[in-house]
Amino acid sequence: MEIKNTLTLSSFAAVAVLISACASSGVKNPSGVPVTEMKGDERGFVAGTGVESQDLVAVADKMARSILNVPQIANAQGTPRIALDPVMNETRFPINKDIFLTRIRTQLNSKSQGKVIFLARERMAALERERQLKQSGQVTSSSDPKLVEFKGADFLLTGKLQGLTTKTAAGTSDYVLYSFQLIDTRTTDIIWEDSAEIKKQGLEDAAYR
Amino acid sequence: MVAMSLLLVGCQTTRYVPGKPLTGDAFIDGQAAIQHGPPKDKVLWQYRTAVAAMRRGQFEEAKKLLDDAIVRISNVIGKDPTARKARSYFSPEAKKTFIGEPYERVMAYYYRGILYWRDGEPDNARACFRSAALEDSDTVDKKYSSDYVLLDYLDGLASLKLGGDGSDAFKRAGAEAKLAHPPSYNAKANVLVFVEFGQGPTKYAMGEYAERLMFRGGIAATRAAQAQVGQKSYQLQPYDDLYFQATTRGGRVMDHILANKAGFKRTTDAVGNVSLVSGLVLATSKDTQVAGLGAAAFGLISKIASGSTTPEADVRSWDNLPLFLSFAALELAPGSQTITVDFLDEASRPLADHTKTITINVPAAPADKVVYVSDKSLTPQTQ
Repeated sequence: MEIKNTLTLSSFAAVAVLISACASSGVKNPSGVPVTEMKGDERGFVAGTGVESQDLVAVADKMARSILNVPQIANAQGTPRIALDPVMNETRFPINKDIFLTRIRTQLNSKSQGKVIFLARERMAALERERQLKQSGQVTSSSDPKLVEFKGADFLLTGKLQGLTTKTAAGTSDYVLYSFQLIDTRTTDIIWEDSAEIKKQGLEDAAYR
Repeated sequence: MVAMSLLLVGCQTTRYVPGKPLTGDAFIDGQAAIQHGPPKDKVLWQYRTAVAAMRRGQFEEAKKLLDDAIVRISNVIGKDPTARKARSYFSPEAKKTFIGEPYERVMAYYYRGILYWRDGEPDNARACFRSAALEDSDTVDKKYSSDYVLLDYLDGLASLKLGGDGSDAFKRAGAEAKLAHPPSYNAKANVLVFVEFGQGPTKYAMGEYAERLMFRGGIAATRAAQAQVGQKSYQLQPYDDLYFQATTRGGRVMDHILANKAGFKRTTDAVGNVSLVSGLVLATSKDTQVAGLGAAAFGLISKIASGSTTPEADVRSWDNLPLFLSFAALELAPGSQTITVDFLDEASRPLADHTKTITINVPAAPADKVVYVSDKSLTPQTQ
């Protein structure tokens, strides 16, 4: 009887071992490591991933606040006009380049209380067509359509995204530097520049390594 | 015991069931597979369907498919329930969400890069080429790390077009060149011709339990291509070989897991055999009957565990990839142009029925015109 009990227990123990055994023994972090957002100057435990909405919001908000403190904007006599020049993407992440400037523009428009005016340069084709219609008399005009009233930009707002990537057996790390500039179009002076940096890192599941 | 047996012998099919009858049209069947097939194979079908779309000149459709696939493959960091299952003894590797081996992921980014450039976004195209190069960066032998010639060459060309310096990338491309050396950049080149040919690598499994992932060599009667525009002809040598890229990775972590699974399957099978036979022998004697039956039961469980272990490697392949990648940057006058591409055999003779004719409208400077031609493209095409 004792032998029978022992054998039964042994069988169950063997089954338990068989079922609970894991084929990924000996593999480091088999379940992967979740993405962790870190400060740019923080030392990471592996390496990172792409540009996401939270980065856009954080970077654009920081830039918008910073621009409002520029003396040429804060103490301007008239209302400075700003044109946007597409951001240059030098990272490994394909992005919608206009989205950063759009976010900065909307932030400034909502918080600057008219301190700056943005020019709708990306709508120039449609605006020129409308002006031609007015000039040709095909549509009405509330002012002399022959006068050049399209405003020139006092400043050009632009930026650049640059990245550094590391990929090792320990994971992938991406550092992205977002830098923006406000350039005086008359003098080419860079009257303001600021940057933000984000570093991310993670490790995929062993099944994908 | 019966319940345990059922648990252990449970079988999961990995065969794709599209839910719709096949039409023979790669694009339509691919769309049906994406919509009705198992979610774990979605990316695989997006890859295949995107290439089918590009070869028919349906670049907008290809863009959407690749965007969706890239979102998936670029977000595999961290825990993934399907990947966790694929690591268990009793689930096959093919249970995981397919994202492809590095050479397949490289090609997803490569194609998306072509499409970005086609849309006048060379910086996003360059970003794709850089991500593609990164996919190939973690080889065991660093000699083969990020060694695609075209990825570096195109990175440099895009930088040059954007007013930057592409010389470092060009040097890297030259150093990696094995099949042919890419020419120096021509900053005035305004028509970028991406050509591909041959049948790319496919996967199969070897080993006692099909646990070793192997690659079947690509097949290509075509060894080069030649583009003819008006009276001028341009040689298109292959710069990258996808079979070479697939086979120079140097093993995966998953191979180690599959080897563990195979070892477990082998051991439990052997233990099962010994326990079962010895148990049945012992059971024939009255004195050792109980012990014998116990040993036989253990042997049976061990055999069931062995039978339920699934060390088979995942052999799902992006099976409509080309074998060779080539590229040429041409300087053509703005306006309508017709490019005729011939695919050449080993003796540099044009292969019959392989000629492709593409009509393009070259834009005024500084815009580039991007042309994509495969030996499997529909012809004639207007791009």
